[in-house]
Amino acid sequence: MEITFGVLLWGVRIAFLVVLYLFLIRAFSALQGSLDAETQVAARSTGIAFLVVQRSVRGAPRVGDRLPLRAVNAIGRDAGNDLVINDEAASARHALVEFTDGEWWVQDAGSTNGTLVNGQTVRSRERLQYGDELGIGRVALRLEQ
Amino acid sequence: MTAPIAANIRSLTLTLAAAFLVTSVGVSYWTIIAADELANDPFNPRLIAASNDRPRGAILDRNGARLATSERGASGFVRSYKDQSLAQVAGYASLQFGLSGVEAAYAESLIGQDRADPISIWRARYLGERQAVGSVVLAIDEKIQKAAADALGGRRGAIVALDPRTGAILASVSVPSYDPNQIVDPQRQQTAMDRLNKAVDHPLLNRTAQGLYPPGSTFKVVTASAALESGFDPTKKLRVDDPYQPDRSWGDYFVRSASHAHGLFDMSVGFRLSENIYFTQVALQIGGGKLAEYAKRFGVGTTPKLDLPAAKGQLSDSGVIDRPTLAADTSYGQGELLVSPLQMALIYATIANGGVMPTPHYATEVRDAEGHVVRQIAPGAQGQVISANTAKALTTMLVGAVAGPGAFAFGAKIPGVDVAGKTGTAENRPGEAPHGWFVGFAPAQAPTVVVAVIVENASEGGVTAAPMGAQVMRVALGK
Amino acid sequence: MIQAQVGVPVGRARLTELSLLVWVGVLAVLGFVAVVGAETSSFGVASIIVPAVFIVLALSLHVFLAARRFRGDQVLMPIAAVLTAVGLVQVQRLASDLLLQQLSWTIIAGGAFAATILIPRDLTALARFKWTWAFLGVLLLVAPLFPVIGREINGARIWIKVGPGSIEPWEAVKLLLVIFFAAYLEEYREVLAHSPRRIGPFPVPPVPYLVPIVAMWGIAMLVMVFEKDIGATALFFGIFLAMLFLATGEAFYAVLGLALLLVGGFVAYQLFGHVQVRVDTWLRSFDEDLRFGAGYQLVQGLYALANGGLFGAGLGNGMPDRIPVVWSDFVFDAFAEETGFAGALALLALYLLFLYRGMLIALRAPTTFLQLLAAGLSFIIALQTLVIVGGNARLIPLTGITLPFVAYGGSSLVTNWMLVALLLRVSEVSNRMRGGP
Repeated sequence: MEITFGVLLWGVRIAFLVVLYLFLIRAFSALQGSLDAETQVAARSTGIAFLVVQRSVRGAPRVGDRLPLRAVNAIGRDAGNDLVINDEAASARHALVEFTDGEWWVQDAGSTNGTLVNGQTVRSRERLQYGDELGIGRVALRLEQ
Repeated sequence: MTAPIAANIRSLTLTLAAAFLVTSVGVSYWTIIAADELANDPFNPRLIAASNDRPRGAILDRNGARLATSERGASGFVRSYKDQSLAQVAGYASLQFGLSGVEAAYAESLIGQDRADPISIWRARYLGERQAVGSVVLAIDEKIQKAAADALGGRRGAIVALDPRTGAILASVSVPSYDPNQIVDPQRQQTAMDRLNKAVDHPLLNRTAQGLYPPGSTFKVVTASAALESGFDPTKKLRVDDPYQPDRSWGDYFVRSASHAHGLFDMSVGFRLSENIYFTQVALQIGGGKLAEYAKRFGVGTTPKLDLPAAKGQLSDSGVIDRPTLAADTSYGQGELLVSPLQMALIYATIANGGVMPTPHYATEVRDAEGHVVRQIAPGAQGQVISANTAKALTTMLVGAVAGPGAFAFGAKIPGVDVAGKTGTAENRPGEAPHGWFVGFAPAQAPTVVVAVIVENASEGGVTAAPMGAQVMRVALGK
Repeated sequence: MIQAQVGVPVGRARLTELSLLVWVGVLAVLGFVAVVGAETSSFGVASIIVPAVFIVLALSLHVFLAARRFRGDQVLMPIAAVLTAVGLVQVQRLASDLLLQQLSWTIIAGGAFAATILIPRDLTALARFKWTWAFLGVLLLVAPLFPVIGREINGARIWIKVGPGSIEPWEAVKLLLVIFFAAYLEEYREVLAHSPRRIGPFPVPPVPYLVPIVAMWGIAMLVMVFEKDIGATALFFGIFLAMLFLATGEAFYAVLGLALLLVGGFVAYQLFGHVQVRVDTWLRSFDEDLRFGAGYQLVQGLYALANGGLFGAGLGNGMPDRIPVVWSDFVFDAFAEETGFAGALALLALYLLFLYRGMLIALRAPTTFLQLLAAGLSFIIALQTLVIVGGNARLIPLTGITLPFVAYGGSSLVTNWMLVALLLRVSEVSNRMRGGP
């Protein structure tokens, strides 16, 4: 009886180590899985839409340039933005344009001169449709597919 | 652009992953690479098998007398030591202070996991079986041990007795000693240990194997061996005039004779009257190199192969004999020589054993709980150091050193037995009384016991030590 | 809709998380059965009670996330859960009288996790109050030095009295600091990285921005001196350097910072006893004067590691009780003794996986602030683990830091679970915007 208990106890101990490693492997492969899905998403989200420059100033992207959009885009004068608009009238962090739930949205990021959609100041978060004109400082951009 | 941050994130992650790798290697060092070394560290509490529900194996003398046992106490098993004179040999097993002595050297055997029994190790480790523990049997004979302890009494020093045929240690006394029961008593252990560590005369030291002293005249057998094996004629008489100096190059350095002798000496007389000047001339004739060679062959300056810790000693500070004055001093056991009583016993055991040096050992057997022998400890001999003829010649001269007319070692006489031996009076620090030595064996024709005695700071020198040696040998021979 | 294209319909959310949690549950049960079994030499039903409570807690958190259609990462929470489970098993093994306390703290940590998932509603709002966080952080950091509420325990003055117990405020400080740095560095990273002035190859940031850097170093040194905790110093300063590097990419800043830390540490070694003791114990652990004195804990820990070998002595079979305060300072060694190098390696791999996942979340985060936040939070866990395991294995001097999730400790468990919640929220923002898994 003593020996059976001893053997069972050792069985439990070995099982503990085995399960620990099984968890590790499972977690790692879940990680790899999400990485693969991620690459798919990334592949799909390049070039889903563009902001075409309508009006511009010296130093900022030229008229006619097609700026590619990602799922989330930070726009502003600061070089760390996804879309850099080098206009003095634009703030360092001017606006955020993102694609959520199938729609394009624009949000002002606390800019000094405000963000305009078709001439109207954006108050909080507003939908941006294809063809709408986005105003950042003195630069105008139109959303196109 | 957010891309640069991405690059930074990647490099930081890589650095951290590398740090994790280094850490894993570090952990593997302790768990795998250095694991064995740590596991056998005597201070590792696992070796002490400290859970109170487990008794530790007993340490017994050769006849089964109990020297150390685990007694059941109020809160588990407590170690109990029966013979205080074996304190340094048996050692102690303390959770706080670790292990020493036999408790350390045979630690795995004492928890039932002797290396000669891999199955018990396997069962203990994997099935968690609490092994019924057996015992470690020492070569010590309590009768002889008691005789040695009584002989030395309260005088500081050491006595070791061994069987020259096997190297088994029959008695081992080191004074001052201490009560090891105090070290394993949780109440008294700290104060006891503090006291022992601070004591100026080092009671924790096993003087028989670890005490180092100049050997004095007992070393003359080494000089004689070197001479005899080099073809020196022991019957040739040499002129002895006290004080002695070969030529003026020695300045004001002279060799002095203990008996202010003037006359012609041969080797037998040289031994009998322990004549320093005779042996100086022998050493000068054969040369310091030859003397050094034989000292090394006899194990001076080498750690003896003992199952407990032993000291190395030295032939000289530099390890060689490069000056005639050093050769002279070394020839009669002074100079820069340092040896342990065990080393001297081994030298004489070699002579007693036909020139073959035995390997000393404290333990003889490891037994399991039923008394079956799990492992024998019988290391065997170490090789021919001197020829059997040389040994025989030396033995004859050593008998004369005890029984002959005017013999310095007369105190070692035993009625009805031929005792071979030599006293020594070793000068050490100026202003201090010299150490008294006696090393000998009996019966001379077929020796069964070798004894080495050292009495620290004995004003009468070897004369004090000789009767102690006789007392021990008498009990060993059953007389 | 993008999410449909990728094949993760909203209805079938969080299955990965659930399947991983099942393994966690099995592990918790096995661990408790083994430990209690070894202790009582029988398999009692009572040993399943605590793991059952834990499993219920973990599942409730999962259900909470699933019910809210939470689209954040599904691997992080199970990793934190498995580590917490190991921690509970270890507490049962090493200090079973503290088990109920640790279990209560675990439940509180679960609550804190849920709360952090809900509040604040907008994660980026955190960035707006950065100076508030900084002030609060420094306040909490020096609070233990104040006479009435401060307390010195085990030689380190890093506790404050809260009612009947005490908590370590610097656990919360590390979160506040990361949030502050993430926000601060987002704003100023331009200037710090692309500064026009350079001395040879080395960038020299303009003085106004150099000041906070030196200030941070100064505060770190003060903490070490007055609060006598070199672990907190190392962590605090390490976090700062890491965030600085993340934001600017200048390895030079990190190297300079490390050099400053070493210089400060060297000076501290010369001047302060408590630092000397730690370093001496690290360098000469087996020396006679240390192995039974200041170095006793570390030496016993190393014996435990040696006893572990490759596959361990077996849960419940080692002698970890020889290590003083093993349940908080030396859990790693105790775990390694009983599960061997194999178990220790798995544990380290779990932390590495956590780091990996956290950094991936950081990479995918949409704004600079969120990137820095996620990277910083992941870095905390990784650094903490490396420092404590390094100390336990005598690679670096021992510090007072504890192993995240596993070591006994309420405040640390709560803040670490809040950390996990923050990481999940960053991942959710990314997923929501990009439509990813």
